[in-house]
Amino acid sequence: MSTTPIMTVTNLHKTYGKAGSKQYEALKGINFDVNAGEFVGIMGASGSGKTTLLNMLATLDQPTSGEVTINQQPITHLKGNQLADFRAKEIGFIFQDFNLLETMTAYENIALPLTLQNTAAKKIKPAVETVASHLGIAEFLNNYPNELSGGQKQRVAAARALINEPAMLFGDEPTGALDSKSARELLDLFTTINREQAVSILLVTHDPFSASYCQRILFIKDGKIGQELKRADLSRKDFYQQILDTLGTFEQ
Amino acid sequence: MLTKLAMTGFQKRWRDYLVLFSGLIMSSAIFYMFESLATNKTFLKQNTGISMVGIIFQFGSVLLTIITLVYIGYANSFLLSMRKRDYGLFMLVGARKGKIGQLIWLETLLVGVTATLFGIIVGTLLTLGLSQLLINSLGLTLHHLSAWYFPAALTTLLLYVGLFLLAGFFNLLALTKTPALKLLHSNDQPNRPKLKPARQLVEVIIGLISIAIGYWSMANLDKLQMAGIGIALVTIVLGTYLLFNAIFVWLVVLSKRLPFANRGLNGFTLSQLSFRIRNYTKILSIVAMLFALALGAITVGMGFHRQVPLMVNGGNAYDMGLVNATHSQQQQIKALNPTTESTYRFKVGPKAVYYRASDFDRNPFITMDQAGHNQLKFTTAHNNAKQLLKSRTSYQLSALQGSAQQRLGTQMLSDAQYAKLTQPEQRLTVFATQDVTAHTAALKQLATSQRHRDAGLTGEMLGGRYTGYQLINSMYSGLQFMGFFLGVAFLAMLASCLMFKILSGAAADQHRYVMLDKIGTRKALLNGALRKEIAVLFILPGIVGVIHVLFGLKMFSFIMVGSPYTGIWLPFLIFAGLYLIYYLITVQIYRRIVLQ
Repeated sequence: MSTTPIMTVTNLHKTYGKAGSKQYEALKGINFDVNAGEFVGIMGASGSGKTTLLNMLATLDQPTSGEVTINQQPITHLKGNQLADFRAKEIGFIFQDFNLLETMTAYENIALPLTLQNTAAKKIKPAVETVASHLGIAEFLNNYPNELSGGQKQRVAAARALINEPAMLFGDEPTGALDSKSARELLDLFTTINREQAVSILLVTHDPFSASYCQRILFIKDGKIGQELKRADLSRKDFYQQILDTLGTFEQ
Repeated sequence: MLTKLAMTGFQKRWRDYLVLFSGLIMSSAIFYMFESLATNKTFLKQNTGISMVGIIFQFGSVLLTIITLVYIGYANSFLLSMRKRDYGLFMLVGARKGKIGQLIWLETLLVGVTATLFGIIVGTLLTLGLSQLLINSLGLTLHHLSAWYFPAALTTLLLYVGLFLLAGFFNLLALTKTPALKLLHSNDQPNRPKLKPARQLVEVIIGLISIAIGYWSMANLDKLQMAGIGIALVTIVLGTYLLFNAIFVWLVVLSKRLPFANRGLNGFTLSQLSFRIRNYTKILSIVAMLFALALGAITVGMGFHRQVPLMVNGGNAYDMGLVNATHSQQQQIKALNPTTESTYRFKVGPKAVYYRASDFDRNPFITMDQAGHNQLKFTTAHNNAKQLLKSRTSYQLSALQGSAQQRLGTQMLSDAQYAKLTQPEQRLTVFATQDVTAHTAALKQLATSQRHRDAGLTGEMLGGRYTGYQLINSMYSGLQFMGFFLGVAFLAMLASCLMFKILSGAAADQHRYVMLDKIGTRKALLNGALRKEIAVLFILPGIVGVIHVLFGLKMFSFIMVGSPYTGIWLPFLIFAGLYLIYYLITVQIYRRIVLQ
């Protein structure tokens, strides 16, 4: 596994509220790197700033100061078409509430990023089928989202996020709306994708179980990174225990 | 406490309420506009002279009421969708159903009555403005038209309050019967567009047959009389709905298989359309009907407008005849650049008017004769003295003479015989201008001066095209005015119907567009998708509406001289322009809601 960073975050600040009025600083200087092919988790309690951080990293919001680069490209000042193209080509998202278009079938949802790029129709079909069979949803391609279970929906969302072979995959509590079996399956899937296709993954979660699948975990508290945990050679079970212990002391 | 909560909900969503309000105000304003003509019996009687017009207006009233019903249904479901969450919340915090029921009634009625009152005011102003505009730009003369007409206001208010009472009752049932949790999460579910070939084929066939019956009865209105309009109305509405229902689904499903569905957001747009297919077929058939009515009304209105000069020109070859024209009158005639001008000398005997035949042989008198039945084709004949006496159109000469001579016979004498007559010689000057409608002011001056000199020359006795113009114009003014007025009113109604329907879905679309933005869709593509989706919804009923009009115009061949189809490109163009403006406004508002 290479150690070149796919993403670097430098001194990231975010302040809400206009100058003069009552201000709230959600992020107070965040620094970290994600290496290519790494599976990183960000943990923190509600209100710790982890969602704010994710929004900055995923270009959904702009930081007050600081810089983020993904794939050597600074992203904090992207606008308009550049921003749209960057999102379409370099990053993939998976949200807690799936964010599928319920007016389109699973197939159409997965193919959407490709049709947005005006990819030739001949190339779209095999690409969708490949990713779908990888994620075990080949048989649901003609179903609408409301005909699928939560786990299936999230796998469709994952397929849509992966079809453009992004440099970075962001997950915002992707298991939040799933039952424990589906959650486990999805996380296993992430691990497989991460290993086999070397996709870098950044997972934001407050759930220790989900986090235990990561290789490295950053703990956020009050807008700062408070602690870092590496899995190294621990088994997932032991790592889970370690996370629970850390959380127990960290949140005090 | 609950009232306070309700008010905060109201303030929070004032923008949505603004859409709701303006839609309702437009609707009631238009209904009032229509009623201000339809209930004004004196106006209808005075300005049309066609007994059928009253009945046509009654049909129109019924139709508009049905449309209003549907419209308020949509408005109400929009209101309901906005409030569902709030009411669900109230229930969760333990509000009693009775209390909530009260709130719902109150809110629905409050919204309805306020909007209707505003609508009547707006309607009065619109009627005033539009009628002034039409009267000035078309040169119409109208009697007994008043912008404020109490019976119309009363009808509007009664209908709307009645409908809103009904809507409130419906809301009460819908909300209090639904569990609180369901109210909190009431997102619309997609309905999978299904192809049921057999059923849809039957729908297409029945639809086509209904429309064919409708077209046939419109074409044979002279035989079917009033029943024809009723039959056409029912069958065409039914047929349009069935066709839309069957064909629209096919169209969307089939075009999804085409390669273009794989480009950009086209697939998304098609899915959006198929998602709402069932909802849209109803509104699209209504819009198609309204489109046809509006376009038809404007076309017929313009048709009447165009007919006036045609009919005038067929009545006489000359604008006016002046007996013993004064020097200043002759100067005025010259200023008009007449295309033809002749002077005939005559002497008046006790039984006949004696002309010099040689005058006619030198300057033939032009007469107009109809070339066929019910056609605006006329032949012109240049008559010398002999020909004129034989012609059945010789009355056209007498009509131009002074008041005292119009009942006398006409004799043509040789110069010798003429010279023997002892009566004083008089002169008849006849002339024609290029276009009588373009010179009405100058001609009026001439007519007035002539009437001063010949006290017997009342109104219609001046003869010629100018008199014909005045007669026909006043007769057709009412019809023209109604055509334009109704056209604009129907257009406004259909566009607000469509706009409202589309906009009420915008809130649900918002998260879809946000999602597309998140996965990296360019703004230009999003805008394009939005424009295309709305364009389809505007164009489809437009096409059907145009076809309906093309067939429907046949109905008017019996009150219009000549073909009702001549020159229809102009009203079509005007209509397309207005329609386009509505489309652009809808896109603009939709964009503001969806792509904030």
